[in-house]
Parts: sequence; structure tokens; C-alpha cells
Amino acid sequence: MRVRTTVSVALATVAALLSTACTTEGKQSPGEATKYIPGTLRVLASSELSDMGEVLAKVEKDTGIKVRPTYMGTLDAVDLLAKGKAKDTYDALWLSSNDYLRLNPDAAKQVVSETSVMSSPVAIGVKPETVRELGWKAEDVTWSDIDAAVEDGKLTYGMTDPSRSNSGFSTLISVTSALSGAESALTDEDVRKATPRLKEFFKGQQLTSGSSGWLAEAYDRRGNVDALLNYESVLMSRADLTVIRPRDGVVTADYPLSSLASTSKDVRDDVRRLTDALRTPSIQQTITNTTLRRPVVASVAPARGMDTSRRRELPFPGTRSVADGLLDAYDNELRRPSRTVYVLDTSGSMEGDRLERLKTALTDLTSDFRDREEVTLMPFGSEVKSVRTHVVRPEDPKAGLDGIRADTRELSASGDTAIYTSLEKAYEHLGAADRDTFTSIVLMTDGENTTGASPSEFDDFYRGLPAAHQRIPVFPILFGDSDRNELEHIADLTGGRLFDAQQGSLDGAFEEIRGYQ
Amino acid sequence: MRRIAGIVLAFLLIGGVVAAVVAGRETEGKGTATKTVRGVIGSEKAEFFADPEVVKALAAEGYTVKTETSGSWAMEGLDLKGYDFAFPSSKAPADELAGKYDVRQPLPRPFYSPLVVVTHKGAAEVLQQNGLASLDQSRGVLDMAAYLKAAEGDRTWQDLKGAEKYGELSGLLYIASTDPTTSNSGALYLAAASNVANKGRVVASEKELTDTAPLMHDLISVQGAQQTSSDAAFRDFVSGVGNPLVLVYESQVASLLAQGQSVDDLVVLYPDTTVHSDHTVVPVTDEGRALGELLGTDPELRKLAARHGFRPQGAATEFTTATAQHTTYLMQKLTVRQAPVPTSEVLHEMARRARGQ
Repeated sequence: MRVRTTVSVALATVAALLSTACTTEGKQSPGEATKYIPGTLRVLASSELSDMGEVLAKVEKDTGIKVRPTYMGTLDAVDLLAKGKAKDTYDALWLSSNDYLRLNPDAAKQVVSETSVMSSPVAIGVKPETVRELGWKAEDVTWSDIDAAVEDGKLTYGMTDPSRSNSGFSTLISVTSALSGAESALTDEDVRKATPRLKEFFKGQQLTSGSSGWLAEAYDRRGNVDALLNYESVLMSRADLTVIRPRDGVVTADYPLSSLASTSKDVRDDVRRLTDALRTPSIQQTITNTTLRRPVVASVAPARGMDTSRRRELPFPGTRSVADGLLDAYDNELRRPSRTVYVLDTSGSMEGDRLERLKTALTDLTSDFRDREEVTLMPFGSEVKSVRTHVVRPEDPKAGLDGIRADTRELSASGDTAIYTSLEKAYEHLGAADRDTFTSIVLMTDGENTTGASPSEFDDFYRGLPAAHQRIPVFPILFGDSDRNELEHIADLTGGRLFDAQQGSLDGAFEEIRGYQ
Repeated sequence: MRRIAGIVLAFLLIGGVVAAVVAGRETEGKGTATKTVRGVIGSEKAEFFADPEVVKALAAEGYTVKTETSGSWAMEGLDLKGYDFAFPSSKAPADELAGKYDVRQPLPRPFYSPLVVVTHKGAAEVLQQNGLASLDQSRGVLDMAAYLKAAEGDRTWQDLKGAEKYGELSGLLYIASTDPTTSNSGALYLAAASNVANKGRVVASEKELTDTAPLMHDLISVQGAQQTSSDAAFRDFVSGVGNPLVLVYESQVASLLAQGQSVDDLVVLYPDTTVHSDHTVVPVTDEGRALGELLGTDPELRKLAARHGFRPQGAATEFTTATAQHTTYLMQKLTVRQAPVPTSEVLHEMARRARGQ
């Protein structure tokens, strides 16, 4: 089993910039010596929780406790915790689920107490016309029905990368549990048995993404994908999908707010006050109304339009070997392989430290490439210098990876910067065949375009491509002196996403893009 | 065996002094001299000690109670220096603590609560139809021997007559519990189940441990990842998530009902062999002992404990009054068998093997 590596970049910290409302606690009697001073809690939170703004503003108004979230994928957050890196940096943890965390003793021991705040099950959101064509009654659909529709070529879908995002991971567990026929918690044997069927199922996956947000954008842009697999709350927030919770079971995120062992009693007290506030009926009502998650307090009804019929909760694996084995199988066997061209700026300005950083980042990245993956290195200066393609073959992955490392070592800096001409070459290279892969281009440049095709010439080139080729996104990396506007335009034009290695590291950017490949 | 406790203990201390601070403020405001008593308590009693009426009742008797919560099983590794009492939710860890700190027996046990299984009407009726439970309105009795036999035979809901009507009733038939290596209710579930499997005798010897281990392992391993506190398990149930059968304390259900809340078509099943969670005070100082006695004898505190779903020791009056409106759900007079709990050491080992550690 290959070791999973982590996103080490510090992701965007979003401070809730709200006025500090100093309120007195209802219970307090007047005239005491010590006055409560509103605390600010630095919370390591799952990315989906960025929709909690209104709720947290209300909590701050009620309690004076301000939440400063740092968003991160759940699995990455667990890794960070296990390495002891959350100490002194975070006051609390708020993931979509602590299930994966509990499988990792080093991470689990960092958590003192946890209280679930709301819940949302995994679901499938299907275009209403597809539901009609399939003759489905939403309340009766099972995972087997979904699988049958996929195998008949009648249903395609997008989902997030299970290694980066808890929604993808929960989906993977739901599908595996249902299609393996496991009657209880998954075992290694169940995963093995289900592999052939899962392979068929994942042929229907047309979109992958490191985050729910980009998945939705890519889905809209593509237009011809039938469904999205994600949390019910995410799917319901788009009004254009029929949201189905499969009848034979789901995995549910229960969003436990957790206090950390490394914090002081005062901090833990604040975390508890925050938890208590989040579980009051009025806040629970706001939660369900604004985020479309389900309340955990009996007196509060779920938001309107939420189906309350019961579903079996599929058990989450009880051991790390099963959970990691499943991720490993997904990456190396089940999913479509990725096919990527790395368009790498090795112009004169990269000379020295920058080139070294690129070499290190690429070399580190090789430990993360999956079986069956096709990687093309396309270094450029005034023109494309070479085109080298390597395939990580399951029977001998090392050979392909060694090839990538060898080519990386030979990179040298010289020439001007022909960004657009090189991108055109990348499209031409990939355009040769439309294979069953997740195909994308990564563009790393440290400067502005100085030679070759102009931006507008590239726009024309791109618009002249066949529709299938236009679906190939470019993921540009902002590095060195590269121009944000220029790169953002490329990302927007091609349906890609910009990654920032000026704020973060180049390793981090390469690593984060993995979720989109 | 200490190792398990060791892993959890260091990380389970939770700050929980809000109520106490409030109490301090109120009483100091009045200028009354009060004794401040510090204790480590199981988390299921945090709401009780935080209740302003409890704070008031304690203050009226001259006490300001400052509490921190900890897993009951983690307390045996704590240094109780600076505390007046520990208040675990079970007798076994209490006895162990008493031994460690040379505390004289008997220990005050102000209230208790039996383990129950919460479920919904559909699932309860399927169990009844298949001879696994008997029902009386919204409460019933779960036949533990029949349940364990079903678990041993890997029976699924689909095997049961009448389950096909309910889409959510599929997969292996099992009771969801908390992690027995870290949480008291999960451990007490094993105490009850192993007692039945051992033909009504408490598991004590290595042979009995070994003989019951495979079944205990089945009961736990099929659940996959488990919640670490009974509060979380109960919350999931309340929010409509999760398993058809969930093991909780009766006090959690009774407290919810007392607050005027309900879960739609809730059914409370009392296992015919159950285990009581005996909330036992381990006094380290005289003040601690006095407080422990007070909790069990003061009429107002007994009444408040009952309102939080606990059963005060001795006369059942308070609990009967507090639950008078909810007799369709709750068995006021317990008619199910109460199994004794194995020693702390045996129970730890049983939990460890059940989780496959």
C-alpha cells in the first residue's frame, strides 16, 4: 500500500470579521468581580463548514464567542492532528465526522470531547429529466438501482476525491457497503469482493474534484453530467436536482465540535459554551434553515422540503486497514486513471533556487502518483523543450516513477517564456486520443508570457478545439513573478482552477491539484 | 490492562466549572459562607450539576460544587489530589478508586440508571413478531438470550418476518453501543451480554473470559467505528440518523421526556438482563463524603436528580413523580433482572478483546 501524503499548505484562514458583542450571560448575577471576556476560538474546520457564516454570527451575538475557522479537507486535518501540528495553532476541531479520526490513535488522542452539532447524509442529486427517463421514484431508489443505471450507460456523475474530501470518502464507503452486500461494517474481504462491481460503477464518474465547490462549478460548465454525489445539504442547496437518499443506506456526517487535549481549561470552557449555544433550539433552527443540514435537537424540525423517512446508517469501517485499503483500491484500481501534462516553465528566470524548488516539488510528488496514471513532462522556455510521457504501470510502478524522477533531474533553465504556445502544444498532445481518463493540464510558470502565441491567439485556439478537448481544464500555479490575472484568465477559460504557490508552497500547490486530477 | 485506561485518561479532563462559578457568584453575592467542593464527574452528570436549580439547592445547603468531567474509566489514572470527590458512573471504577485512595466503604451511591435500548415503533414490532421482544405501548422488554442467539447466528433484519415493510431495516441485526474501551455504557453493555452468555453468572475467570470473547467480539466488531460517548449516540438517534437499535442510559431518555420533548414513535426496550449504571461518589475528603450523602438524602436534590432522569436510591417516590406523565415509555418499577458487573480488570480485558486490540 502506498503511503498517502498530505497537503501541507496552510489553507485560507477566514476570519469572521464581526463586531465583538459583549453580552452578559443570563445566569450571572450582577456585581461579580470577574467579567467574562469574549474569547476567539481558532477552529480547524472541514471545508463544507464555510456555509456557517450566518449561524456563527448569531452565536457570537448570543455568547460573545468568535470563531476563526481554518478550512481543510477532513482527512488532511486528521493527518495534521496525528502529527501533533494542531497544538498551539488551533483551539478546537470541527470536522464533518470524527469517524476517520478515531481510526488513527495518534489523532484520536488529541481530542478530549466531542459533541455532534448537526447532520447530513450522503445522497445523490440527479437531474429531474434523468429521474424521469430512468422511471425512478425518488423514495425507492437503491444503490443497486444507481449502479444498474450506470452500467447501462444511462447515468453519469461527479464526486469529490475520497482522499481529500470527506464527502467523497463517505460516498465511497456508502457505495462499497451497498454493492458488496456487506451486512455489517466493511472488512478487507468485502472490499476485495466488491472490486469488480465497483470498477464498473466508477466508470460512470465523469468529474472528480478536491472540493465540493469546484465540483459544482465543473458540473455546471460540463452540462452533460447527470448527477452529483455529495452531502444532502450541498445537493439541496442547488435547487435544480432531485435529491435521493438511497433506500438501502447512507453514511451520515454528524459534525462533532471537538475540544483538544493541548488546550487550557479556559479554552475548553469556551468550546463548551460554543457547543451549548449551537445546540439551543433557536440556533438549531437557523442551522437547518440556512445550511439545509438536519438538527440534532428533538424539538426542532428539519428545514422545509427535507424528507424525514428513515434510512439505515451504513457502518463506518472499524479499522484503519479497511479504510485505507479502500482508499488505496479506489486510487489504484477503481477510479479512472488520470492523464496529465505538466507544462513547466524552465525559462532563464527559473535559474537557481526556483528550479531547485521545482525539482524538489516534482520529485516529492512522484510518491503520490497512482497506478495506471499517465504523466507527461513538458518543460518550456522560448518553446517546448521536450515531451516525455511516463505511465505508472501496476506491474512495475517503480519504472515509471523512476523515469519521471530522472527527467526531473535533467531540467535546466534557459530561454524566454512561451506560455501560450506551450499550452497549445499540451492540448495537441492530449488531443490525439480521447481515452477513459481524467485528463488535465498543470501549468507552472514564474513569469509573464514573453514570446510565442499571445493571450488572444490562445483564446482563439482554445475556442477552435473540438468540444471534447475543450473539457480539458488547465490548473495554473501562481509562482515567482507570474501574473495572477493572466493565469486566472487561463483557469476561467478552460474550466480549471488557480493554485497559489506565492502564498503557499510549490509542493503544496502540486499536492492540492492531485485532488482534481 | 492499565494501558487502555492510560491512553484515554490523560486526555479526558474537561473543564466544567460554569455551574460552579455561577454558584460561587450567587452565594458570595449573598455573603453566605459556603464550602467549595471540587470533584471529577462522569459527563452524563454535567447537565445535572450545571442546572441552576441544582446549584441553588446545593448553595442552600452551603455547598459550591466545582466539577470537571472525565470518562469514568479514565478516573482511575487521575491524581485526585486537590479534589474532594470523584463521581464515576459505575461501581467498578469507583471501587478501584476507593481502593487506591483508602476510602472507607460503603461509598455513597445517590442515584442509578439502567441501560436501555431505544428504537422506533416499526423495528420494535418486528422484534416482537419474531420473539425477540415483548411490547407494552411505547416500552418493552428485550429478550437478551434470543438477541444473543440471533447475533451469534449472524441474523439480518431481512431474515425477520415483517421487516420488509421498513426500508431502513436491513443489514445485520445488532445493538449500536459506544466504544467499550473508552466509554462506560459500551463496557456495561458487554457486562450484561457476557452475563447472559455465561448462563447468568458474572464473568470472573480467564476461562469464562475466553469462552465469551468470540461473541463479545462479534457484538462490537460488526458495528465498525463506534461513538465515544453515549451522548453522541443518543444525539444521532434523536436526529433520525443511525441504527435502529441504540444502547443508552434510561436517564437520557427520561431527561428528554421530562423536558417535554419526544422523538416520534420512540420505543424504549429494557433488556431482560440489564446492568445499572451506579453513580457512585468516591469521597477523598470529609466534605466530599458529606456532599455524596447529601445528594442521596436531600429531598430537593433527589427531586432534581429524578428530573434529570436518574433514579435516586431507596424509595422510588421522586422518580415515579418525575416520570408520571411518561409511563407509556418508562418502566417505573424495574422488573428486569439486574446483572452484577465484572471487576474493573475483567471488564477492561473483555472490552479490549471485543474491540480486537
